[in-house]
Amino acid sequence: MIKRFFVWAISPMGRIAVVIAGMFVFSLAAFGIYQTQQNPNPQPIQFPHNLHVGLGIQCLYCHPGASKGPSAGLPTISKCWGCHQQIAKTQTSPKLKPMLDAMNNGTNFVWAPVAKVPEFVHFNHRPHIAAGLNCENCHGDMTKVTIAENPQVMNMGWCLNCHRERAGDDEAKLIKLTDCGTCHY
Amino acid sequence: MTVDLNKLHAVGAIAEEAEGKWGMVIDMDLCTGCQACVAACAMENNIPYVEEVDAGYGRSMHWIRTERFWEGEYPEVKMSAYQPMLCQQCGKAPCEPVCPAFATVHSQAEQINLQVYNRCVGTRYCANNCPYQVRSFNWRDYQDSRVRPEITILANQFNPDVTVRRRGVMEKCTFCIQRIHKAQDKAKSEGREVEDGEFTTACAQACPANAITFGRIDHPESLVAQLARSPRAEHHLEELGTLPRVTYLKEG
Repeated sequence: MIKRFFVWAISPMGRIAVVIAGMFVFSLAAFGIYQTQQNPNPQPIQFPHNLHVGLGIQCLYCHPGASKGPSAGLPTISKCWGCHQQIAKTQTSPKLKPMLDAMNNGTNFVWAPVAKVPEFVHFNHRPHIAAGLNCENCHGDMTKVTIAENPQVMNMGWCLNCHRERAGDDEAKLIKLTDCGTCHY
Repeated sequence: MTVDLNKLHAVGAIAEEAEGKWGMVIDMDLCTGCQACVAACAMENNIPYVEEVDAGYGRSMHWIRTERFWEGEYPEVKMSAYQPMLCQQCGKAPCEPVCPAFATVHSQAEQINLQVYNRCVGTRYCANNCPYQVRSFNWRDYQDSRVRPEITILANQFNPDVTVRRRGVMEKCTFCIQRIHKAQDKAKSEGREVEDGEFTTACAQACPANAITFGRIDHPESLVAQLARSPRAEHHLEELGTLPRVTYLKEG
């Protein structure tokens, strides 16, 4: 069987077919690699997290929803402006130009969310903060990154590892934290 | 009425589930068949409308429907009570053991039947095994604006707390688990237990006649548990041993 295939493969039509098949496989692989190398959606401004956190601004100042409800929230332009209007460099710096333009035109930043879960997962920030987790437990150390990036794959195994660990020997808590209906509905 | 669990082979985990946690009482005397619950449920849970052709195939999607029955021969017909029918959240649910993907599982924490949309592969075994016929299947991408351009504007009224289901997924009443979670979350943040009547399901909230009551069936003092002890109480298809959580109050 295999011998017959090789006999066919060295015939002129066979060679063409093998080359076409090889090109097909190669282009598929190249396309796949190209897809994984895509940059995420660009942010409206090259926001340096390390600088802001380094100045001592709390995460909850710009993302206040995290302690109150499901969504941590992304700041609006007026929140940026609250501090930046007192900074002289805002008027001159080319890096801050998008913010100045947005403020003058009355538009707003459309941030590109970085830490995302699929739509069939319902994540709530509040109980996680209330359980004593810190932002950097999931989002990484923001003093080390400029534009926010997601330090880990936020998949179900990652969630459940932590849920199981924190439930410990408490049977009722384990049932609640590993129940499908806690996140999927 | 007491249920002999051994007769139902409902031992172990399922025997505990016979207790139930959340329950509903529907008073068929009060129901006027106005369909407000149907509309409220569709709004709350992002249930799509299917069009004429699909509805003709019996593919219309509702998590709750109002059933009506005629008694007698035409023209001497008498309308019996309206009967809202929704997922009974059975303690021993026929839909659960038939799912090959474990997409319909029993929630141990909330004691209700879950449908895990991302696990569902769409075999529809559960719907075929459901004696109450309350499961609905997404035959098309009803909520995708690329498939149905007319849905684009409607997409603005989606409930963000509920998944928008895609094609090939079974769905059913969840007892508004998003509201349960919201109430539990609020109560926990205030350091207390969820109070009776603090929240309710969308259908119960919309009912103008207060025919639907929702609450903790395992708390004897809650309104829903008191109503469920009424002599008018009955469970549908009780003889199948499904241990339904929805109690109907028949005509007195």
